[in-house]
Formats: sequence, C-alpha cells, structure tokens
Amino acid sequence: MNEFFHELLIPFRYDYMLRAIWVSAMIGGVCGFLSSFVTLKGWSLMGDALSHAVVPGVAIAYILGLPFALGAFIAGLMAAGTMAFIKAQSRIREDATIGIVFTSFFALGLVLITLFPARVDLKVILYGNILGIAGSDIIQVVAISAVTLLVLGLKWRDLMLFCFDPNQAKTLGLRAGILHFTLLALLSATAVAALQAVGAILVIAMLVTPGATAYLLTDRFGQMLWLSSLIGVTTSLAGAYASYYLNGATGGCIVTLQTLVFLAVFIFSPKQGILAARRAIKAVAKPSTSGGLP
Amino acid sequence: MSFTTASPIQAPTLDVENVSVIYPNGHQALSQATFHLGSGTICALVGVNGSGKSTLFKSIMGFVSPTSGSVRICGLPVREVLKKNLVAYVPQAEEVDWQFPVSVRDVVMMGRYGAMNFLRIPRAIDKQMVEESLGRVSMWEFRDRQIGELSGGQKKRVFLARALAQGGLVILLDEPFTGVDVKTEEAIITLLHELRAAGSIIFVSTHNLGSVPEFCDQVVLINRTVLAYGPTAEVFTAQNLTKAFGGVLREFQFEHSTIQDHDGLAVRVLSDDERPLVFGKDGHLEYKDREQHEELVKKRSEEHE
Repeated sequence: MNEFFHELLIPFRYDYMLRAIWVSAMIGGVCGFLSSFVTLKGWSLMGDALSHAVVPGVAIAYILGLPFALGAFIAGLMAAGTMAFIKAQSRIREDATIGIVFTSFFALGLVLITLFPARVDLKVILYGNILGIAGSDIIQVVAISAVTLLVLGLKWRDLMLFCFDPNQAKTLGLRAGILHFTLLALLSATAVAALQAVGAILVIAMLVTPGATAYLLTDRFGQMLWLSSLIGVTTSLAGAYASYYLNGATGGCIVTLQTLVFLAVFIFSPKQGILAARRAIKAVAKPSTSGGLP
Repeated sequence: MSFTTASPIQAPTLDVENVSVIYPNGHQALSQATFHLGSGTICALVGVNGSGKSTLFKSIMGFVSPTSGSVRICGLPVREVLKKNLVAYVPQAEEVDWQFPVSVRDVVMMGRYGAMNFLRIPRAIDKQMVEESLGRVSMWEFRDRQIGELSGGQKKRVFLARALAQGGLVILLDEPFTGVDVKTEEAIITLLHELRAAGSIIFVSTHNLGSVPEFCDQVVLINRTVLAYGPTAEVFTAQNLTKAFGGVLREFQFEHSTIQDHDGLAVRVLSDDERPLVFGKDGHLEYKDREQHEELVKKRSEEHE
C-alpha cells in the first residue's frame, strides 16, 4: 500500500512534471472560463480558426527572437480583422470566410517554419511541449492568464449580456463593438497560451469542450462559468499527471480526458443527459400506453 | 454639467426629422421620414414588410446612423439618451436565444445594467425594481425558470418587465402580440395604458391592424418614408391604409352579421396577414362581434381622455 502511494507521487518529484502540471492546470482553467462564452456565442469555429491563424505569428516571433505571445496575438487579430473585412465586402458566407482565412494563415506559418527549421520546431507548435516549456514562455502564459482572468472576472456580466442580447447591450449605451473586440482579443490570447499546453491542433478542444460540458449541467450562467473553469482545471491537471504514466503526449491526454468527462455528462446529466431525456419521454408516454394496448 | 442630467426627464419627446437611411449596399431604406411624438402616447408603426419599420426602429435606438436628418429624444441626440437609459426595447421572439442559461430574473436584471456600477453587482434598488417589474407583468412566481421553459406570452411579458425595470421613458415594442394568447394581449395592453398614463412614449411596430384602433391613440404609416402620422381616427383610414399597403393586403370573406344593410351589404377589409380591419361604407369600423368591440373602443378612448 505504502509503495503504491509512493508510486503515485513520483511525478511530483520531477521539476519538469510539477511545472507541466501547474501550468496545464492554469491554462485549462482560463480556457475553461472562456469556453462558456465561446460556446454560447457560437464562436467554436472562430476559436479553431484563431488557434491556427496564430501559428505564423508564433513562427515570426521565434525567428526574430521576440516574445511568442506578441507575435501570436498580432497574427490572431489580423486574422479576425481579415475575416470581418471579407465578410463585409463580399457575399461569401461566414463559414467559408473563416475557412479561407485560417488555412491561409496556417499555410504561411508552415512555410515560415520549414524555411527556418533551426529556430522553431514544427512539432512543438502542432502538438505543444508543456514538458519542455521554457521559463520565459511560462512568464508569458502566466501574464496572459492573469489578464484574461482579470478582464473576465470584472466584466463577465457585460460579456454575458453581449453574448445573449447584443441589442439590449447597445440600448443600454454599452459599447458592443468594444465588447466584441474584447472577447476576440481574449480568445486570441488564450489560444496562444493553450498552444503551449496542447498544440495548435487541439487548442479548440480546450476552448469548447469544458463550456459545452458545463452547458449540459446547468441553467445558470454564473454556475456554468464555475463548472467550465473547474472542468478545465481538473482535466488539465489530471491529464498532465496521467501523461507521465502513460508516457503519452500531454495534450492528447488532457483532451482525451475532457472528452471522457463530456461523454459521461452527455449520457448521465440529470436534466440534459440522454438518459434523463429517455426517462422524461417514458414518464409522459406511460399513462397513455397502459390504457391503450392490451 | 448641465441641469438636464441632474433632473430626471418626466415628459419625453421623440422627434424624427427628415431621416434618410442608405445602407452600404446602396439600398435606400428610408427617405425624408419625419414625425413627432409627445409625452403620454401609444403610437402604432404600420407598414408592409420592407417598408423601413425596422430601419426606423434601429435609427431611434442608434444602431443605424441616418445618412441625413436627425433623431432626437427629449431634445437630445440618441447616443446621449441611451447613456441615460431612457430608451427600452422589447425584441421579437426570434431575436432571442431561448436556450441561453439565464433565468427570468437574470433577464430582467439586464435591464438594470445601465444604472449599475462598473462590476454590475445588483444593489437593493436593482433587486427591488426587478421584483416590482416582474410583479407588474404577473411573472414573479416564474422568476427562477430558465427562459426557454416559458410559453410565448410569458416570454413576451418577461421582456416587457425588462423594459419596465430599465425605467425607459421611450419604449419600442416589435410585434408584441405575435404568438401571444388573448389574455396576455389584454394584460399587455392594460400595462401599456398605465405607462401612457405615466407619460411614457410607447411605439409599437405591428402587423395586427385590427387591434390598432383598440389600443393606439396615434399611428405612423410608413412605406420607405412617413406617409402620414397623427391621431388614429384621422390617420388610420381606409384611404391612407390602401396607400400604405398598395395591393398587398389580403381579402377575407365575412358572414352575414358583419355585412349589414345600412352599409349597402358592402364592407371594405384591410389586413396585413393577421386580424383584418373592416370598414363600412362611410368609413366607420366594422367588427365580427360588434357590441363587445364598440364598448372596448369607447372604454379605451375614455381612458385616454
């Protein structure tokens, strides 16, 4: 028994594991918090697009030796701006616009990375490398998380109103344009942070799955925020921890865990789960069948 | 510091002066629209689809800036008025995401955001206003329901309560009676009369022509511009409506009781998809259930006096 506990504590004896676990948990929490807004605003595709569109920014920042967060943030906002411009100036539908823009940005990123293979590692950007995260990168991730949590913590009610009823926000004299930009900027920033943990391909899971899971568990936005943040923190923490034993990719472990939690909730949620729905149908159908068929 | 910000405005005015709106795609939605509304009125906004009703609403709420002309509320530009929370809007059912995880109370509380501090943490007065407003539309007992779990009429009442909680003196309602049962329609109309008595300007966009003479004291008729505006009796005439709707109004068949001898067995029916409006030969109003409606119209006009 004692040996078993001893075995369980092994990951905490390595600095790199300890670091990976707490940084993942922090990123997971911030992404989880934001995911409530992303899922309710219908921005899942937008989140996916931004997480890919930041790649050339990250590549250029590494090539020039600048903070990666800065490059990624600028690239993300440029992508969002390009999408808005094309949408306003043409009859192309929004999903097609997003498809065109994010693939263009991502392709440019790939070209840059392959041109300067010594400066940036393609694998790190695509799959993340939380186990080998550099000290300076941790500082950037902490800064992004702190700013995001601060803004969301202070203005979540305004952003909720913007997601729910932008017209009401406008008639109250709130600047809907600024709220829109704030949410986009936070999305770009957290996409960059999550890139470190799980890589560009899986970022979108961190920004959608916890929110979608929480949405199935509650009818109150405030509770949804707590739940999605909690799911983000625990799955990221546990995923990073488990990756030590499984010897698997940290990002893969975190996202697989999030999917498992989602599936469990999807089936067993007391109100929205598929089992609950079946029970509800049965409860309604029962009285009529008992009298009807022989 | 001006004195108008310190003292609350009790007698609102709405002045739409030569408003033209041309959208970026070159579509002219409104041209030279002009009308004026004073304090204490329920005014219907009537016109065909695409006549610029929603563009007019949007320019009153500041979502659209007129290409030329001006909208002034209480003598002030729209942007300043919005900051004072004087304009409230009750949206159509289709504009709202009913699956959003908010309760009835949360929605009404959103009407108070403009009056709250930076963090939007409700104070005692905000909670009190929310309770009062929900009480006025008889929805307080549903306060903890998720908004999607309500009937069409209840949903409408919640958004009306939000406008009440906001305390707007100019209230815009978009199709308030669509998908609403008769009882709720009556309750909403009673509430609108109370608001009118308190001095508010109620501006209602509606296709329900038949109900307009029953609860509106003024009408604005539009088709890309304001064709006519003023007291219902003067503006809501067969001639004006025919002009506003062109050939798009529907025809209806009526039973014997509606078409009486003194009209020479002829009536004129105007409808914009919902309850038809029926005129007798000399232009008086006709009803299917005559006595009840005449009383209603009489009662309403007395109330307004």
